[in-house]
Amino acid sequence: MAKQKEEKLHKIRKVTPGSVINYTLITLIALICLYPFLNVVAYSFSGYNAVLSNKVTFFPIDFTVSAYKEILGKASIWLSMRTTIIVTLVGTALSLTLTTVAAYVLSRPNLPGKRIMSTFMLFTMYVTGGMIPTFLVVKGVGLYDSLASLFLPVAVSVYNFIVMRTFIMGLPFDLEEAAKIDGASEMQILIKIIIPLSLPIIATIGLFYAVNYWNDYFNALIYIITPEKFTLQLRLRNLLFAGELNSAGANAEGIGTQVMTQSLKMATVVVSTVPILLVYPWLQKYFVKGVMAGSVKG
Amino acid sequence: MKQTDDKNKAALRRTTWKQIRKCKWLYIMMIPVLAYFVVFRYAPIGGIVIAFKNYNVFKGIWASPWCGFATFQKIFANKNFWNAVRNTLTLNLLNLAVSFPITIIISLMLNEVLHLRFKKVTQSILYLPHFISWVVVAGIATNLFTQQGGTINNILNAMGHDSVPFLSDNGWWIFTYIICNVWKEVGWGTIIYLAALTGVDETLYEAAYLDGATKFQRLIYITLPSIKPVIVTMLILSISSMMSIGLDAPLLLGNSKVQDVSNVISTYTYQLGIQQAQYSESTAIGLFQSAINIIILLAADRIAKAMGEHGII
Repeated sequence: MAKQKEEKLHKIRKVTPGSVINYTLITLIALICLYPFLNVVAYSFSGYNAVLSNKVTFFPIDFTVSAYKEILGKASIWLSMRTTIIVTLVGTALSLTLTTVAAYVLSRPNLPGKRIMSTFMLFTMYVTGGMIPTFLVVKGVGLYDSLASLFLPVAVSVYNFIVMRTFIMGLPFDLEEAAKIDGASEMQILIKIIIPLSLPIIATIGLFYAVNYWNDYFNALIYIITPEKFTLQLRLRNLLFAGELNSAGANAEGIGTQVMTQSLKMATVVVSTVPILLVYPWLQKYFVKGVMAGSVKG
Repeated sequence: MKQTDDKNKAALRRTTWKQIRKCKWLYIMMIPVLAYFVVFRYAPIGGIVIAFKNYNVFKGIWASPWCGFATFQKIFANKNFWNAVRNTLTLNLLNLAVSFPITIIISLMLNEVLHLRFKKVTQSILYLPHFISWVVVAGIATNLFTQQGGTINNILNAMGHDSVPFLSDNGWWIFTYIICNVWKEVGWGTIIYLAALTGVDETLYEAAYLDGATKFQRLIYITLPSIKPVIVTMLILSISSMMSIGLDAPLLLGNSKVQDVSNVISTYTYQLGIQQAQYSESTAIGLFQSAINIIILLAADRIAKAMGEHGII
């Protein structure tokens, strides 16, 4: 036994040529993942002439913050930033509430009609109305060109619901039973027991919802027509690919039609991505657990 | 006999009724959730009827005349539609062929890493692109791959090569599209395999090690068979969505020069439905797409079960 353990330790400590290659390759892959970000940041901080003469590769050349000054001096960017923050906060709060409630209710044992309600929700994972019928419904209920059109139609993700229900089902049941005997109502059990115990999964699902709302541009593209209500991603898309998508014969390389300099564009990219990068490390430790909970077949 | 049966049923009904009353608040809490599903999920499913109608915006859905399968005939006769179907399948198949093995290989590589801090940091970096929007990814990609002044072409030029038309040549565009997808999603895809890999029985490795199996043999005979169910499930899931394609990547990366290969079903539906307001046609395309997806899903599930694996349904 002791010998076996020793051998195992030996196996772990041994530096083989294979493991050296493995570590090197993984480092390389991580660098490839990071490089595009580095490139964008380098462009955003580079001087006008350095960008025009295509010298920027890894690091900023002729360091300047003028692109940021210009971007952040535009009222439209702040307006879009505000819209996106409102949609992300309200949308995430709504989505989390509905998903948690659904996951809690449908994880109760002995609830008559539980199966029917679950099937009712799961069915929509496989059968959907598609883009146009959904568009017509959103228009029909009067949400066209309103900020609510950006979160109400996508409020509950069935996948996130399954992940959360699987997690809640795995919680120890005795606590709830004890609370019930003490006369706690269903609502009290949810708020005082289930939610505190489910914080890791709530953080994970919250991150997924928030990222989706923050990154969404397509719903804004089809539902929002008033420029004052444009979200950050939609504005960014209009800045980056102006005239590309709608006008036939647009120049693929954007030469000539290019109004903004590349550094201005890349500074906008940075501004609209930084908020995600700020919350990411805080929530990162949770989401691996969350995805694993979802991978267990419910 | 019949009487006791009825009695039992009545008793059962009574207890069920009692149970329902006891759970009153749970049902009340579910009302907003169910309302969401009725309005934003089931109403659009009901709206699919316009695929079989000659939809007129002014008449509304119900008053518009039925037209049977005429819309479908019209679509199936359209060359652009089949072009979109072909492009969707091509891009999805190529993406699957490249992403799927790379994801598994990177998972296996990460699983071999014993240095915990190194593993954590690299994993964080690998997951990061998943959280970046397609608008940003496409913006970055354009900056990198553009023919004139793109960073990659600058490097190629500096090395004495000619510029490569990454975004404006059909073949190269597909290449760029795949690269962007791999960069964005492969790292995130490893999570599920890494979760499965932590569940592999340690004692198997130890036994194999004592029997003198090499690292490679352990990989082939222990690791891969252990995660085979996950591989099969992921494969079924990917194959069953062969007809669906995210709209963001082709719409944002595509341009008029490469529309012969970048025009896919989702972008075609968008152009037809939103930009040209041909509601019946684009709804019919959506229905055709869902139908094919469900057929492939059922078929893939059957095949997996026939091969002795767990299906997913």
